[in-house]
Amino acid sequence: MQIVHDIDRPPRQSAASRSRPARRWDPKTAVEAYGMLAPSIIGFAVFLVVPILVVVALSFFDWNFLSDPEFTGLENYRELAGDERALQSIGNTFYYVLLNIPAQTVLALLLALALNAKIKARGAFRVIYVLPWMAMPVALGVIWRWLFDPMNGGLNRFLELFGIDGAAWLTDTNWAMPVIASVNIWQYTGYTMLFFLAGLQAIPGQLYEAANVDGASKAHQFFRITLPLLRPAMLFVLITSVIGSFQVFDTIHVMTAGGPDGATATLNYQIYLESFTQRNAGYASMLAVLLFAIIAAITLAQVLFFRKRTVYDFS
Amino acid sequence: MNKTRSAALAALAVAAPLGLAACGGDEDGAVTLRYAFWDDNQRPALEAMIEEFNSEHPDIAIELEQNPWDDYWTALDTQFAAEDAPDVFWNHVSRFPTFADNGVLLPIGDRIEEDGVDPSIYPENLYDSWRFEDEQYGLPKDWDSIALVYRIDALEAAGIDPATVSDLEWNPVDGGTYVEFLRKLTIDEDGDNALSPDFDPENVVQYGTAMASATGQTDWWNFAAQNGCSLQTEPWGEYAIDAPECVEAIQFTADLYNRWGVAVPAEVTNQPNGALGAEHVVAGQAATTMDGSWMLGTYRDGLEPGTWAVADNPSGPVGSGSVINGLSNAIYAGTEHPDEAWEFVKFLGSEEAQAIATGMGSVWPGVSSLNQGFADYWAGEGIDVTGFQAAAEGTTIGYPLSMNDAAFGTAALDEFNQVWLGQKDAQEAAEAVVEIANAE
Repeated sequence: MQIVHDIDRPPRQSAASRSRPARRWDPKTAVEAYGMLAPSIIGFAVFLVVPILVVVALSFFDWNFLSDPEFTGLENYRELAGDERALQSIGNTFYYVLLNIPAQTVLALLLALALNAKIKARGAFRVIYVLPWMAMPVALGVIWRWLFDPMNGGLNRFLELFGIDGAAWLTDTNWAMPVIASVNIWQYTGYTMLFFLAGLQAIPGQLYEAANVDGASKAHQFFRITLPLLRPAMLFVLITSVIGSFQVFDTIHVMTAGGPDGATATLNYQIYLESFTQRNAGYASMLAVLLFAIIAAITLAQVLFFRKRTVYDFS
Repeated sequence: MNKTRSAALAALAVAAPLGLAACGGDEDGAVTLRYAFWDDNQRPALEAMIEEFNSEHPDIAIELEQNPWDDYWTALDTQFAAEDAPDVFWNHVSRFPTFADNGVLLPIGDRIEEDGVDPSIYPENLYDSWRFEDEQYGLPKDWDSIALVYRIDALEAAGIDPATVSDLEWNPVDGGTYVEFLRKLTIDEDGDNALSPDFDPENVVQYGTAMASATGQTDWWNFAAQNGCSLQTEPWGEYAIDAPECVEAIQFTADLYNRWGVAVPAEVTNQPNGALGAEHVVAGQAATTMDGSWMLGTYRDGLEPGTWAVADNPSGPVGSGSVINGLSNAIYAGTEHPDEAWEFVKFLGSEEAQAIATGMGSVWPGVSSLNQGFADYWAGEGIDVTGFQAAAEGTTIGYPLSMNDAAFGTAALDEFNQVWLGQKDAQEAAEAVVEIANAE
């Protein structure tokens, strides 16, 4: 039977773990353990921790790559208030995330439900939906750019068959961002679906059997059994895909390069433009710190939101 | 989904003090120089020149490093930051001022004098464009100009005598004979041209021209030159593209898209991701384009001989004219092998080396006496390329010389793309660009 408890409380300990002897400090084992850990710790420090600290430090400097960085204190942070392009890019980022996450999550969930049912060629469908995620985003971006080309592109030629005049998708300030978002939804929905699929398969079948016996409708079963029990999968999916969409870069770079008129320049893209086309490495570092703060705040909010909820343990 | 670029930025910041610089192996006194360039069309010529160089200097190996234009400059910047830049590299006038000002280029004035290199073999303005604060930072590699490339077959189909192409004129009021010429070449799917009352602008199969330029070099800057606009108040001065003669040229370019409808729509050609003019001409979607001399190989490889030709640009109110520009070979100030790098740069600037490139039809040479050799190569291919020379003899302007090139370039691309789409006013866009570009 199911046991309900709060995640804040430690889970019920099994007999095996309780009877395990207390650990003792053993210098020989410690050396061995740290020796084994060293490659990953060093890699983590050199390629992640140090660069992050350097970026934070650089955000207080002016640096054009060519001559020595010059300390300017909080100047970069103060400049942000008057930088229309940077502020626009923050707005663009949230717009993109809002276009991307709800659609991608709902679609992935629906797909997972469909492919969890006993249908023919289920395995083949699962592979097909994951394929876009396996392909290279830059190559996909190039192909999608061709498809969206207003003159020679496949999409507008197809629409023409029905007498519809397709838009100039990627050069129209209103269309460009939804188009970018839809390409990324297409690309990542299959991948997201995998986590929901795994979550669905972890739900014990007897719950549905019992619900059927009690005469619960399918909709009722979905909202009362499936959705609550998918919460761990949902938490993981939302955290990773929200972080991922705040960091979108390659699709934008290849399809619009931040245009038209800055309409698809997200904060992450603005960091690239500031550093690598304008040579404002210090200012770009400030934007990177800002992006980090935004993502950290949103991730924290998500974790807090989900932690308050009940989880179920069937062990 | 994606790694943030900041990680890369930071990684190079870390790498710089660590001094991860790799340098040529020095066993048995041999030296390896890294030579960076961007244009794939020119690789065969570079390889031929290196082979010749190695016959005199077998102990200096040259390693080519190629990045496409857009990545080339970000790669160089990061390599400068990491103090691991190529020993010798192609330099461009738009980047030169900032590079020279920040000390990443090796001054070569003394070496030029010591080795008795004669600067008079180059056109004076080409040589001087690599001068910064009384010091020389490069020898001219080549020069380029913009001229009108057209499809002979398209002109014949429209009943236009190719001999008349060099006499075309434009004006901002009614477009002049140039716009009339382009309208004759803009054809809908029923075969009606843009002058015909039956013309259907919604179903055009061939446009008169295609314009696609990330900077303006192959589109509106030429109309600017032909209208008396020189982009800046003076070399090294402020950007002045909000002057009436400049705004008129911008407006005329916008008119080709939106008023006359004779250009492949900006929705398709806007840079940086749109197709280039050459691609539209080769595909037959445009009958003409203004293009740079460095693009000749693309037309040669994409079109049958005898189906295309080059003519001087149309004349504007002030006269015929073109943007002229050139590249140099520069030496990295931090090179471990300055003497060998200079030997190589000196060779690349020599008549002997540049004759190899002109003999292969690669680019117009920095050495004036070799111009004929380049024209001869193309005459042998059945193409008269003297239109580029004629254009270069008109009212020319060079690339703007400014420390603010990056800010100008980004703002201009953002603003003018919207003007070409018909969504922004030319005057307003020009003022916005000037404000951003002159701010720093």
